[in-house]
Amino acid sequence: MSRVVVAGSNKVIEPVIEKLHELNLLHVVNYSGDDESFGMGKPVGKSSEYAEQLIKLRSIERYLEITDKMPDKQFSTDQVISQMGGVLGSIGDEVIATAERISEIDNEVKIKQDQAKSLKPLAALPLNLELLYGYDSLAAFVGTVSSPVEADVSKVSYVNEVFSAGSAAATAVAVFVPGEKAGEVSAILSEHGFSEISVPRGLTGSIAGAISALESDAKRLEGEKAPLQKKLKDIRAQHEDLILAIDEYISIQSQKAESPLRFASTESAFVIDGWLPTDQFDMVKKELEGAAGGRVQVEMLDSSEAEKFVEGGEDIPTKMNNPKVVRPFELITRLFAIPEYKEFDPTPLIFVFFPVMFGLILGDVGYGIIIFVVMLLLRRKFRTPGWQSLISIVLISSIWAIIFGILFGEFFGPLGLWAYIFSSSHHVGLLGTVANPYAIGTSFGPEFYGPLGRIGPEIAGFAGPVFPMFRLETASVLLLIGISLFIGVLHTGVGSILGVKNELAYGKKDHAYFERLPVLLFQVFFVVGLLGMILGGLTHPLVILSGFVLVVSIGMMVKGPEGIMGVTHVPFFVSNLISYLRLLAIGLASVGVAFAANQLAFYVAMPMLSGGGHDGFTTIAIVVGIVVLITVHFINLLLGILSPFMHPLRLHYVEMFTKFYSGHGGGVEYSPFGRVRRFLRD
Amino acid sequence: MVAEITDGGILYGLIAVGAGLATGLAGIGAGVGEQGIGAAVVGVVAEEPGFLGKGLFLMLLPETLIIFGLAVSLILMFAWTPFA
Repeated sequence: MSRVVVAGSNKVIEPVIEKLHELNLLHVVNYSGDDESFGMGKPVGKSSEYAEQLIKLRSIERYLEITDKMPDKQFSTDQVISQMGGVLGSIGDEVIATAERISEIDNEVKIKQDQAKSLKPLAALPLNLELLYGYDSLAAFVGTVSSPVEADVSKVSYVNEVFSAGSAAATAVAVFVPGEKAGEVSAILSEHGFSEISVPRGLTGSIAGAISALESDAKRLEGEKAPLQKKLKDIRAQHEDLILAIDEYISIQSQKAESPLRFASTESAFVIDGWLPTDQFDMVKKELEGAAGGRVQVEMLDSSEAEKFVEGGEDIPTKMNNPKVVRPFELITRLFAIPEYKEFDPTPLIFVFFPVMFGLILGDVGYGIIIFVVMLLLRRKFRTPGWQSLISIVLISSIWAIIFGILFGEFFGPLGLWAYIFSSSHHVGLLGTVANPYAIGTSFGPEFYGPLGRIGPEIAGFAGPVFPMFRLETASVLLLIGISLFIGVLHTGVGSILGVKNELAYGKKDHAYFERLPVLLFQVFFVVGLLGMILGGLTHPLVILSGFVLVVSIGMMVKGPEGIMGVTHVPFFVSNLISYLRLLAIGLASVGVAFAANQLAFYVAMPMLSGGGHDGFTTIAIVVGIVVLITVHFINLLLGILSPFMHPLRLHYVEMFTKFYSGHGGGVEYSPFGRVRRFLRD
Repeated sequence: MVAEITDGGILYGLIAVGAGLATGLAGIGAGVGEQGIGAAVVGVVAEEPGFLGKGLFLMLLPETLIIFGLAVSLILMFAWTPFA
């Protein structure tokens, strides 16, 4: 990136903006307004007109429920301009009128329903609605009471008329008394739990009749709504892409028209500051000078001048530049922080580690294939960039899940299930094989873990088949603990090395060698020490060596920039490594649930429903068994997408990124002035 | 046949109970830790969606506690065998 200044006469500002927008390369730095000789630029062209059009278009989009999507059709600029009048004019007016009519109907329906609802308690009163209100000398009380009121009302006011009807709990009453008695009667009524119902004005006839009329009106209005909604749907289906294309066109025009607000300008000249990929400078310079007929000056500041801006608090924009397969994983990076310009972009590392971790955790051919197919289908449905990235990530990860599934021998749970189904012997343990029904898991041979204690193979003395290795088997669990820790050391180690590199890039040797490097030494030799202990106890040379290195690394931390406080991080580094055991743990949980599902169906539900035998299941037993199987596997599959995604995410964010990433607080993404055209054709 | 109760069997049973407690209690602890952070993160993300990544980072921090418990369980169940 290079810092670039474009300066020219106001007479050529429009072609310059046009060209810059078309090139889509210059990351414009907004003019901060702190220079007295410059002011803020004024919008060029018809900016307010575009803004108005955009507001109308957006409201049309809202009524039609059009949201951003991937384009099905593209339009040329000429097409858009010629059809814009129609869409913003007659079609737009129709949409707005229809939508407003729908909301009017909704309103009326709601009013009518509310009135009907409030009248319901009064339905049994033998009075017409027009008799309930509108008296000059009489006070009318209409509502419900919890106990009879007639006797008490008579005590206060000899002249009265009380109508009541309904159940004992909530009796509807209409009480009419002379106006001057209103206060006393109201007090009496409230003693009887009176709650007033406000009678809607303008209705006549019997109360029950009014209620049914209101309800039928509401129903009729609802019926009117359906064709209007269909009309909106038709318009949407017909014009969706066109409307989005127009949106894009007007947005571009308005962006161009308002861009001078971001530039510094005087009465007769303008200055644009920005960042540009260095190798594009010559091309941009030539293009701009061509567009402005030579009346523009394009200068690149040398790096020492650019450095001053950075020291002044300006961020050099970062353009993440990754190959196409890796690009979806930028989503994960971006969720955490945009890398700073000088920082290492961790996306390729996520691309390497994340899917492997996902696969290691899920590790099931059946689940992997289902996820793969579902994601392929979803890819067509959800076509916004964010979803596309997410789906691509899971797609790549599911392939790893299939690969690990083959290694682990899992197809909807351990393969023993299928040996059980397809063999004549129905006394096979689910983890065993037909040949050796009572063996749990695959035998690694008694000498498999010999020289390394329990972790690691001895190829020569190796007896049983390694693959498929069932994960629930003790030997496999121990092997996987080792593998998880190994991945952990590799993962955090790469992080620490990058940390050293990053600190050096910022010229902080102190931090590089006495803060980042000791972490690397500590974590690697912590695990080497563990290995030594397994090999030969506390006196093994590896243990002694790593003990020495651990002491040295802690010494280095004390010497480092944080002093003795640096040592307080040590438990964090240990927990970092142990944290990688989740690769094994969550995988075990997932295979455990799958195993339980199979066990439940084939060893509990089916035999129980067919009388206890392991042969000759009844039809109903098979049906129930399959329902159990599908339900539990489905739940496990949902969890099997979620947790293998979240946990590697955590391993990246917490265990790896803390070693090197974003220590300087996130960068700014390179977003050049311009716009990628999606619905518009060139 | 009546199962015979042996000292070894009881010991193995107690080891299994201990392993269960290790993971279970660690899980409760992590859950208690996470509830406050989770609520706070949801609050922040509602105001500032860009904070999601960092919020997730903070929320997942106490999760390691369970793994500690699990590590203890695994050692109890598999790596430490009193009869070996």
